[in-house]
Amino acid sequence: MALNQRHLMRVVGLAVLLIVTAFFVVPMIWLFLAPTKTDGQLLTESPFAFGSLSTLFHTFHRIITYGDDSLVIWLKNSAIYSFGGTALAIVAAIPAGYGLALTHFIGRRALLSITLVVMIMPATALVLPLFLEINKLGLYGTIWSLILPFGFFPFGVYLTYIYFSSTIPKDLLAAARIDGAGEWNVFRYIALPLARPIVALVGFFAFVASWNNFFLPFVMTYDNSQYPLQIGLQQLIGSTASFNPANYSAGSSIVVLHRPDLAMAVIIAVAPVLIVFLFAQRALVSGMLAGATKE
Amino acid sequence: MATVTFEGATRFYPKTERAAVNGLDLEVRDGELLVLVGPSGCGKTTTLRMLAGLEHVDEGAILIDGKDVINLAPRDRDIAMVFQNYALYPHMNVAQNMGFALRMAGVPKLEIERRVRAAAVILDLEEYLERKPRQLSGGQRQRVAMGRAIVREPRVFLMDEPLSNLDAQLRVATRAEIAALQRNLAVTTLYVTHDQVEAMTMGDRVAVMKDGFLQQCDTPRTLYENPTNAFVAGFIGSPAMNLLEGTIEPGGVRIGATVVPVANGLHKAVGKSVIAGLRPESLALAAAGTGIPATVRIVEELGAEAFVHASLVGADAVPQKPSNIIARVEPRAAPGKGELVHFQVKEGSMLFFDAASGERLR
Repeated sequence: MALNQRHLMRVVGLAVLLIVTAFFVVPMIWLFLAPTKTDGQLLTESPFAFGSLSTLFHTFHRIITYGDDSLVIWLKNSAIYSFGGTALAIVAAIPAGYGLALTHFIGRRALLSITLVVMIMPATALVLPLFLEINKLGLYGTIWSLILPFGFFPFGVYLTYIYFSSTIPKDLLAAARIDGAGEWNVFRYIALPLARPIVALVGFFAFVASWNNFFLPFVMTYDNSQYPLQIGLQQLIGSTASFNPANYSAGSSIVVLHRPDLAMAVIIAVAPVLIVFLFAQRALVSGMLAGATKE
Repeated sequence: MATVTFEGATRFYPKTERAAVNGLDLEVRDGELLVLVGPSGCGKTTTLRMLAGLEHVDEGAILIDGKDVINLAPRDRDIAMVFQNYALYPHMNVAQNMGFALRMAGVPKLEIERRVRAAAVILDLEEYLERKPRQLSGGQRQRVAMGRAIVREPRVFLMDEPLSNLDAQLRVATRAEIAALQRNLAVTTLYVTHDQVEAMTMGDRVAVMKDGFLQQCDTPRTLYENPTNAFVAGFIGSPAMNLLEGTIEPGGVRIGATVVPVANGLHKAVGKSVIAGLRPESLALAAAGTGIPATVRIVEELGAEAFVHASLVGADAVPQKPSNIIARVEPRAAPGKGELVHFQVKEGSMLFFDAASGERLR
C-alpha cells in the first residue's frame, strides 16, 4: 500500500515535471524548426515537422540580404554597442564594487544605498533623463549615446561588492600590503586575478542587458544605419506580411517577409548571446581561492 | 637587524570601552625571538598587527630601530609576516608567492629567482616551486608562508600563530625548525601564540598578556620560577601550577585542613588571605598523618612521570575555594583512584600571591 502510494507520487511528480518542461521547450523547438519551412508549411504541417535544408538556406539568404543587408548592419551595430558597453561596465563596476567592499571612506553607505535603489529602478525610467543629458552633450545619434549609459551598471557594482566582501580573505590583502604592494597593486595583482569569475559574470550580464536593450536605442537612434538588432527586429515585424495584411496585398512587387524569415532573424539575434555565454562560462569556474588560507 | 620598541602603545577598537591593547611597553632586542603569549582576546594579535601597520595605534608609539613607524604604511616598514591561515596568493605558484614582495620592490627577475631558490633550499621546497598552494599539504603551505617572509630579508619577522593549523606531530617538528631558522638568520622576531608550551620552547624571552595588559616579560625559566602574579603562575607550565586559597596563621599557611609551615617573612601577616602557588613537582607523597591530605580522583600515566589529580580533604567546608590539586609522582609509586594520600611541600618551593590583586607576595 505504502509502496504503491510512493510509486504513484513518483509518477505524478514526473508527469508534472514533463508537462512543465514541455510547456517551455515546445515553443523553442517550434522556433528552431520554423526557418526550415515555408510560410504555408508552417501552418499546415505538424509543429514538429522538419521542412527542408534548402528552405532553411533560402530563408537564411532572404533574411540576411533583406533591405540591403540590414540585418548585418544591425548585428554589427549591436556588437559595437554591446561590447563597448560591456567593457565600460566592467572597467567601472569592478573597481567600484571592490572599493565599496574593502575600503572605508565617508559616504560609503550612502553610495551603497544609492546603488541598490538604482538597481531596483526600472531601466526605462532613466531613459528620458539620459536622452536629455546625451543630447546636451551633443552625443545624440553617436555610438556613445548607447555605450556611456553602461558606465553605471549598479547590478554589476552590487554583485562585485558582495563577492569581494564575502569571498576574499582580508588577510590575503593584508599580506600583499605587507609584501610592499600599494593599494593599486593590491587590486591589480591580488584582488583582480581572484575576481575572474565575477568579472565574467558582470561582463555577461552587462552584455545581455545591452544586447537585449530596446528602449534606450529606440530613443537614442534615428536611422536604419544606427539601429541595433532589437530595433531592427521591430522593423522586421512591420515588414512581415502576415502581421500587416493591409500593407502587403498578394501580388504586390515589394519584397515582403514571412514568419519563417522572422524566426530566422530571432535565432540570429540570440546566437551572439549564446556564444558570449559559452566564453563567460569558462571563466565562471569556482574554486579560484582554494588553498589561499586554511580556516 | 633591528630593535622594536612599544612605548605605551594602545589600541581601542571602534565601539568598545576597553582597550584591546593598553599602554604596552615592550622591547624586542636585536635578533631576538620574543614570544607574545596569552589567552584568546588578550591583545597579542592586535599588538602584532599594530606593529605590521594593519591596525591603527590610538596612543603611544612603536619604534623600529628607534624610529617611530606608526604613520608609515605597512609596505614602508620593512617587515614580513606569517599569517595564521598562511594567506598565500592562490593564483600564484610557490615561486611567485615567495617572490611577490621582491617583485613589488622592483628587484630584477634573475635576482628574484636566485633568492627564491635559496629560500626554497633552506625550507626544502625546491620541488614544489611550480605548484599552486591548493596542491600543497598544510605543512608545505606553512613552509611557503615562511619562505615568503625570509626571501625578503626584512628587518623584523612577525608570526601570528603560524603552527596552529598543523597537526600535533608536525607542530612539534616545525616549532623546532622555525626556532632554528630564526637563530640562523638572526632576524628580530615577534611571535604570537596562545600555546604556552610553544612560547616556552621557542622564545628567547616570553611576554605574557592578559586583557590587553602586559603581565610579565622575561626568559622562560624566570617566568616559570618567578612569576610576578597569579595569572602568569597559572598560565605558564603544564600541568598548571596549583593555586590554592589559604590564610596565614602563626605556624604557617592554612590550606584546607592543614597548616603548612612557611619559611619567608609572611608568617607575620597573620589572618591575611593569600593564594599559595605550588608546582606539581613541588609536591611529594608523604607518610600518612603528615602534609596535606587529599583523595585521588584520577592518575595520568605519561610513562616517565605520572600526575595525580586529587581533591583536598577538609576543603569542602569552604566550597568556593579551589580544592583540586595536581602532583607529579614517580609512576611506579603512583597511588590508586580513590586512595587517601598525603602531600609534602618541598621546602621553599611555595609561592604566595595576594588573594585580592593576585600580585606576588615575597
